[in-house]
Amino acid sequence: MGSSLPPKEANLFKVIVKSYETKQYKKGLKAADSILKKFPEHGETLSMKGLTLNCMDRKSEAYELVRRGLKNDLKSHVCWHVYGLLYRSDREYREAIKCYRNALRIDPDNIEILRDLSLLQAQMRDLSGFVETRQQLLSLKPNHRMNWIGFAVAHHLNSNSSKAVEVLEAYEGTLEDDYPPENERYEHNEMLLYKISLFEECGMLDRALEEMQKKESKIVDKLSFKEQMASVLFKLGRFDESESIYRSLLFMNPDNYKYFIAVQKCLGLYSDNGQYSAADVERLSALYNSLKEKYAWSSAVKRIPLDFLEGEKFQEAADNYVRPLLTKGVPSLFSDLSPLYEHPGKANILEQLFLKLEDSIRDSGCFPGCPQKEPPSTLLWTLFLISQHYDRRGQYDIALNKIDEAISHTPTVIDLYSVKGKILQHAGNFTAAAALADEARSMDLADRYLNSECVMQMLQADQVGLAEKTAVLFTKDGDQHNNLHDMQCMWYELASGESYYRQGDLGRALKNFLAVEKHYADMTEDQFDFHSYCLRKMTLRAYVSMLKFQDRLHAHEYFHKAAAGAIRCYMKLHDSPTKSSKEENDEISKLPPAQRKKLRQKQKKAEARAKREAEEKQEDETASSNSSKSGKKQHARPVDLDPHGEKLIQIEDPLAEATKYLKLLQNNSSDSLETHILSFELSMRKQKVLLAFQAVKQLIKLDEDNPDSHRCLIKFFHKINSLPGPVTDSEKLIWNVLEAERPDMRQLHGKSLVEVNRSFLEKHNASLMHRAAGAEMMYLLEPNKKMEAINLIEDSTNITSSGHSLLGPVKTWQIQDCIDVHKLLETVFGDQNVANRWKARCAEYFPYSTYFEGIKSAISTYAIDHSLESPPENGIASNPHLKSKDGEQGSLNGTLHIVDDLSSLSIR
Amino acid sequence: MVCIRQATIEDLLAMQACNLMCLPENYQMKYYFYHMLSWPQLLFVAEDYGGSIVGYVLAKMEEDPSEPCHGHITSLAVLRSHRKLGLATKLMSAAQAAMDQVFGAEYVSLHVRRSNRAAFNLYTSTLGYQIQDIEAKYYADGEDAFDMRKLLRQPQPKKHHHHHHHGPGGCCSHDAPVAATGSSPQSSGSPDKKAIT
Repeated sequence: MGSSLPPKEANLFKVIVKSYETKQYKKGLKAADSILKKFPEHGETLSMKGLTLNCMDRKSEAYELVRRGLKNDLKSHVCWHVYGLLYRSDREYREAIKCYRNALRIDPDNIEILRDLSLLQAQMRDLSGFVETRQQLLSLKPNHRMNWIGFAVAHHLNSNSSKAVEVLEAYEGTLEDDYPPENERYEHNEMLLYKISLFEECGMLDRALEEMQKKESKIVDKLSFKEQMASVLFKLGRFDESESIYRSLLFMNPDNYKYFIAVQKCLGLYSDNGQYSAADVERLSALYNSLKEKYAWSSAVKRIPLDFLEGEKFQEAADNYVRPLLTKGVPSLFSDLSPLYEHPGKANILEQLFLKLEDSIRDSGCFPGCPQKEPPSTLLWTLFLISQHYDRRGQYDIALNKIDEAISHTPTVIDLYSVKGKILQHAGNFTAAAALADEARSMDLADRYLNSECVMQMLQADQVGLAEKTAVLFTKDGDQHNNLHDMQCMWYELASGESYYRQGDLGRALKNFLAVEKHYADMTEDQFDFHSYCLRKMTLRAYVSMLKFQDRLHAHEYFHKAAAGAIRCYMKLHDSPTKSSKEENDEISKLPPAQRKKLRQKQKKAEARAKREAEEKQEDETASSNSSKSGKKQHARPVDLDPHGEKLIQIEDPLAEATKYLKLLQNNSSDSLETHILSFELSMRKQKVLLAFQAVKQLIKLDEDNPDSHRCLIKFFHKINSLPGPVTDSEKLIWNVLEAERPDMRQLHGKSLVEVNRSFLEKHNASLMHRAAGAEMMYLLEPNKKMEAINLIEDSTNITSSGHSLLGPVKTWQIQDCIDVHKLLETVFGDQNVANRWKARCAEYFPYSTYFEGIKSAISTYAIDHSLESPPENGIASNPHLKSKDGEQGSLNGTLHIVDDLSSLSIR
Repeated sequence: MVCIRQATIEDLLAMQACNLMCLPENYQMKYYFYHMLSWPQLLFVAEDYGGSIVGYVLAKMEEDPSEPCHGHITSLAVLRSHRKLGLATKLMSAAQAAMDQVFGAEYVSLHVRRSNRAAFNLYTSTLGYQIQDIEAKYYADGEDAFDMRKLLRQPQPKKHHHHHHHGPGGCCSHDAPVAATGSSPQSSGSPDKKAIT
């Protein structure tokens, strides 16, 4: 490289390269300029200058120079490599790979380029290419450990574990017997454990075992070793040996319930669904009784039996489990027990037990049958537990009574206020819930957990501005207002986005949803540096699992929620384009073309100017903060030109944007109903009949009894039936496909849509949401039966669930469902009288609900602390009733509550 | 009952969420990846019966060859809702044991806010840490940190299994976040640095 230059310039060229590697860009730039003074068209120098400028954030110049350099010297591998690096820095990996390939055509054995290529192949999961490149690297430099390891890992990733093992064994063959030296013991240990896991993965269990026995002394990670040994022995059917290792693991860590489950499995005492025969329950009890003696300090050993015991034995075990925790005052007791509420009958037993304990403590200050006096706090924690119990059962009145009693018993316990806030949230009064969470927060301002819970409640109550002000108390970062975005605080962005969506601020909603999407893109990018790092560190098991994790990254629930939220925003934009952008476009389109062009240019210039000014301002700020702050480097942040998402909503084709995110959902969350509901909605808007049909088929396959699945099915065929016959060839083709598929839809067999709907209604006669869906479809199919449809809804009964509670009936209707039905009556049926009747009825079921304006919903009863009360946020009155009314047509059932349950966002 | 176990890569997002929920020092995902891909044995989580992550410890080995081999607790957190179960102690003990057994650490160090009495008590009276130094204005908001240490390679009185009561307040916080980008597999990881030969 730099070969065509005379000696002096050739040396200067080396300076450029060196300066680039050591990040002394200014120096490199100077060297490049002095070469270019004499040889202004020297290709490699132009390229390197471009690459240097790229690191100085002068992107457009960089591309220009690199391209010019390449044009001047197409035969230079340096120019191609540099071009590839430039693309790589912009995450344009496919283009970068092409460039590297061109470079390698010129210089096939260039190690640097091969290595860079291999990294991109790993990143892009071009696995066969990765194997090939890794093979080349190994044959060029077989004395490098990393090349052996890289080749093995490449085979493993390319689904050839046995080949990977061969490579590792060949590598081991090159090592001395006394390997490893003291300072490489960890790395060697990791390599061995990786190899053993490969044996296990390709079913060579005996080899795995043999290897472990042979290499035990060289493995320093004894925990992994034991776990792997136990797992292999189990797979080999050597259950006794496996069990004894799991027991020794339990001795090391009696709080790992995976080991308990493993012991059960070794004994043939495990069932996935938790159902056991009476005989098995006997054996399990005996097992845990014996384990209890050995691991007396383990809480797992006491908790697990509550899962399989029933009836009286369950009650006795629960009693023993709960007492000491109440005495101690463990705040997580209820959340620890809450999975038991899914087991039939256990909630009632627990209720009896809790009330018995409460009575006894009130009467005697002792637990039943126990002479020892409890401390006064035991009553407090018992009330705390009971109130959460009734909250869980939807008996909010009792729950609030109990928690209020606890608060007056000891007003200083913060957790009581948090729980009271949650009860009110569940009961439908978000404003009061936020006020209580704020009360809890103000009792310990140094506790971020209380702050976060409060922010969550405020967002649920659509107090976005107040929520931000509160969050910022913990998230100020130097001069920066708030670092929640930089720190990838996704629950906050999701909850904000959802709140903005509810309030109809689609710009800010989108801004937040897309921010979450960006975090996932960044995480995908994060893996890049580890492709080479892990080969050196030898943390190969962790590396491979990281790659697999990355392949499923977009299936994560935060991403799912963000993508679904964004799609809904785009659909809403499509349904009712924003005024501003529409009007603006109208005005612009009225202008003659020349003037239109001028106006557009002017707009662009103004934007560029704004950006420049903002950047300058920021530079000043970072400069001043740098000088003030010792040593800590502040990374210059690009300026956000659209902080409120105003540009986002001026997008020309919202449905095309939505499709991008839908594809990600379809690829990663195909087993979620929501994915296909969105797909249906979107495809119908785009008039893509076959895609909509696909969505319907998926929905029916996933859950044909779901009300939304039923809606989509009926809506789809209703739409098809109402279309005029096919005319064009492609229409005919579509019709033929539908005709061919129709008989496969079991639901439709020889029935009219009206009949299909009727049998759906008959099948799910007792369920409010199914009746509502059936009624809506009845009205769609036979508009003249509107009154009959409405009667269907109004005649629904809120039955008492089978688990009758001691202190009153447990009703089955959920508050959110009732709200959805109310919106349906208001929007789809458009009958305000009926809607009002419904509202009055629900106000009785949910007296705390602000939405239904129940008698106990007046906020003044609950607001305690007024210090942070603020005027309505975002110019919208903070009455959730007003907000949620705004038309939600176009969606399935007139509702679009994205966050149906705040608790799924929070961690508890 | 809460399960204490080694963290897997699948836990990292939940660990980050847990950290953001209760500590003022936060880190980007890449920093969690960095820990997991460098010292997978040193990350532990506390998982409640419903499967949620309610606490974690994020730890590492210091690799400065001029110092003796030692570990460092980057971050430890337990949600307020899960106090009084001794989770912080269990998590710390697990990480310390792994530092000792897998990496042969001589001692383990950590930073704690001067004002965080609850965490300070945990480290000194329950876990046997001692103040090594005070780092002035270590945290972004100007607060000092205690630089604390615990020897691993000397016989120490090891007692009972812990069910200690920690004081009130959010448990434990640690390292100030690293400057925005400089967090992860430094140097040779990125091809930007070397490249042309």
